[in-house]
Amino acid sequence: MSSTTEHQKAGSGAPMETSASHENLVERVKAMQSVWILGVLVVIIAVFGVLAPTTFLTPGNITNIAQNVSIWAVLAVGMTFVIITSGIDLSIGSVLVVSSVVAAQVMERMGDQGWGTALVGLVLSVVVGIFWGCLNGFLVAKANVPPLIVTLGTLSVALGVAQILTGGLDVRSAPAVLQDNIGYGRLAGVPVITIVALVIVVLGGILLHKTRFGRYTYAIGSNETSARRVGINVDRKLVQIYGFTGLLAGIAGILSLAQYGTTTIAGQSLTNLNVIAAVVIGGTSIFGGQGSMFGSMVGLFIPAVLQSGFVIIGVSPYWQTVAVGSILITAVYVDQQRRSTASGGRR
Amino acid sequence: MTALFEARGLSRRFGRVQALDGADFDIAEGEVVALIGDNGAGKSTLVKALTGNLDLESGQILYEGREVHFATPHDASRLGIEVVHQDLALAPHLDSAQNMFLGREIMRPGILGRLGFMDTPQMRQRSAQAFTELGSAVRSVVVPVGAMSGGQKQSVAIARAVAWANKLLFLDEPTAALGVVQTRNVLDTIKRVRDRGISVVLISHSMPHVLEVSDRVQVLRLGRRVATYQTSGTTIEELVGAMTGALDNQEGAA
Amino acid sequence: MRSSTFRIAAAGIGSVMALAACSTGAPTADSSSSGAAGGSNNKTIAFVQGVAGDEFYITMKCGIEAKAKELGYTVTTQGPQKFDPTLQKPIVDSVTASKPAALLVAPTDVEAMQAPLEQAAAAGIKVVLVDTTVNDPSFAVSQISSDNIGGGKAAFEAIKKAKPNGGKVLVISVDPGISTTDARVKGFEDAAKADGTYQYLGVQYSHNDPATAANLVSAALQKDPDIVGIFATNLFAAEGSATGVRQAGAKDVTIVGFDAGPNQIKALKDGTVQALVAQQPAVIGSDGVEQANNALTGAPVEKKIQTGFTIITKDNLDAEGGQAAYKSTC
Repeated sequence: MSSTTEHQKAGSGAPMETSASHENLVERVKAMQSVWILGVLVVIIAVFGVLAPTTFLTPGNITNIAQNVSIWAVLAVGMTFVIITSGIDLSIGSVLVVSSVVAAQVMERMGDQGWGTALVGLVLSVVVGIFWGCLNGFLVAKANVPPLIVTLGTLSVALGVAQILTGGLDVRSAPAVLQDNIGYGRLAGVPVITIVALVIVVLGGILLHKTRFGRYTYAIGSNETSARRVGINVDRKLVQIYGFTGLLAGIAGILSLAQYGTTTIAGQSLTNLNVIAAVVIGGTSIFGGQGSMFGSMVGLFIPAVLQSGFVIIGVSPYWQTVAVGSILITAVYVDQQRRSTASGGRR
Repeated sequence: MTALFEARGLSRRFGRVQALDGADFDIAEGEVVALIGDNGAGKSTLVKALTGNLDLESGQILYEGREVHFATPHDASRLGIEVVHQDLALAPHLDSAQNMFLGREIMRPGILGRLGFMDTPQMRQRSAQAFTELGSAVRSVVVPVGAMSGGQKQSVAIARAVAWANKLLFLDEPTAALGVVQTRNVLDTIKRVRDRGISVVLISHSMPHVLEVSDRVQVLRLGRRVATYQTSGTTIEELVGAMTGALDNQEGAA
Repeated sequence: MRSSTFRIAAAGIGSVMALAACSTGAPTADSSSSGAAGGSNNKTIAFVQGVAGDEFYITMKCGIEAKAKELGYTVTTQGPQKFDPTLQKPIVDSVTASKPAALLVAPTDVEAMQAPLEQAAAAGIKVVLVDTTVNDPSFAVSQISSDNIGGGKAAFEAIKKAKPNGGKVLVISVDPGISTTDARVKGFEDAAKADGTYQYLGVQYSHNDPATAANLVSAALQKDPDIVGIFATNLFAAEGSATGVRQAGAKDVTIVGFDAGPNQIKALKDGTVQALVAQQPAVIGSDGVEQANNALTGAPVEKKIQTGFTIITKDNLDAEGGQAAYKSTC
């Protein structure tokens, strides 16, 4: 097992490994699903790079891909937290829609196209998102309804509310400042929407990996009973985690308005499944307790890069869905195998 | 001698099963008390009741002579009472340092700490120190607990409880799943903890272990304490007899 | 163990890539070598459908491919899994990156697809809007779509042909606010009101639910037992209308449906509907290629083309009616 450079802070005889800066760091990195899947992403990029050198690996196409995953990336941050608690949130697409509907209707009534209106829209969208997220969390934690059922329910309730509010017609007005600066604006050649998403992803990663909030997220997914026994208020944490996911869906709602200029009521139909697939491909265990923000982001880029590459080299859309599905199953299968060899198989 | 911790007439019924039927219990400061009884005698239920993991129908719990109520395990923890459950209650995906400090994380000083940032190096170092002091078999504080052997897991769970128990430690069947060497280790740990002045309640089926480490033995049967013995004056035969009810001497000499 | 896991994974991913590679030759894929893109004599046309796997768009693709072959272009066809702008936008972006000479596209939202398609046009790609459109189509070289108002008119003609003596007519539509069905309703309404022998009873909305359509129709027949014709603007409305007619015990009511996918043709054969108003997606497609070619070669381009309709009844199903039916393969 361990051999060199032990930190002997403990003082006495027995060698004790107290940090990960260690020779078997290589081993541990190899064991991480996110690194394994990063390799897959690199291979995919290389293959398309060879097949379509003049069109695929162009700055224009790369920024396009980044721009197109931006909204999903914001949603994936929340989904990573939820899945680590061994939960699931199917409602994010609908919450995104209902948040953007409320924001768009109020902004339309305000009439103004400036930042003030946009800010009101953002606040409203976030508040609506938090409301639905907390409702999910409350039902999961306090009413003890399984998250799959709760969020399947709110998926259709939230969408229904959006349809009631609008009579089923998309609100097609977003303040010009939003569309011009956020949706299609660029900063040093990078889409602003991508920068916004990146900031949220980095903050989400810090929250997950460095803070007590993140630690409790893992603890709840790993062993809820033990989390309760050590005095963690699991119910309140779950409400917070689902609420946080709702908040991100609210932000995504505004970003979606900025990007599409419409509330996409009939759209976002596969958003939840695409985001879940990305998070799971990235190595977050559907059984909870395990996962990383970095992995989710890699998992997000695999389907996006595949689709872009397939479109560019002219592969039929039907095969694209086959490929993404196969990658999903392969990734989870490999993860299961790896885990059962590593830890003697829990579940 | 006044008891550090005492329970009087605890009762709890699960459906038609009277799990606790007016059970009594007491332990003095710095004492090791073994709690024995046949399967279903109510040992684990009693431990849960004494550590805030179970609501009671009647009875009272006294801590240093004052009556206390434990609504949650946290209430017991606050008085320096910790328990190692049979299932260990570890989070398998977290490493031993993370488990050690779960729910009691050390935060970074200043504004970062208030923002929720944890002081990971310090938690690792203090965990390593705790394992070393207990002569634990744990050799790394950065490997997930789920990847450890049964003995190592056990020692993480015990180390965690010991680290926070400054008055009283409950160990529910700590040696049940362990090999010879690891069992030895646990028994040594119990003595070491006692030497620090912490009282230990040991629940075990193994009479030799009970006789080796305990000062007194309390026998549970059918949800109540049927006998208490000074370990120095008893034998395996006597204990087994009390457990099975072969010699029925109600509340033997204390 | 780990190495064998990796081998299995590698095999899995390898097979996916292989699948992708060989699919370029599969019948569903419309291949073109990427090498052809980017050159000065770029002869590739990209077609982005509103949704993949829909007979309307497949028939359009057939029309596009036939015309493209004639003019010496290769075609690649892409489409989102659902009629959803959030799924269509990434596809359009990637198509733009692949730099085809022309892009024929059926936008899934008038607002959401505006910017991505403007971007394609700005990249020098000739954009032709087929079937649907966007808010400001000025960037497109041409727009080709069915004349939905004309479609409504054609539906009225079909009823008139079956019931030349006049009477009461009703429209069952889907939901208010859908531009295509609203235009069909308007065309029907105008034609019916213009003809003095018919009494227009107005429009009812089925919310795309056959049961609702059935209830609406049977209730309408309670009130007006002498209804002679019903125009159902989509398949579910037509199916529900037929059920409603049967529930009310009415006979001799002519139901005219819209579109001519396999389900609609089956409904016609079963006698559920008596006539279908078929759009001409293949014509839309071939006109689109023609206009794109004109734009690329500098010939005059028609900014807007509206295509006509074919009325399909049981009588002409073996002749021109059958040919107007939408195809599921070319």
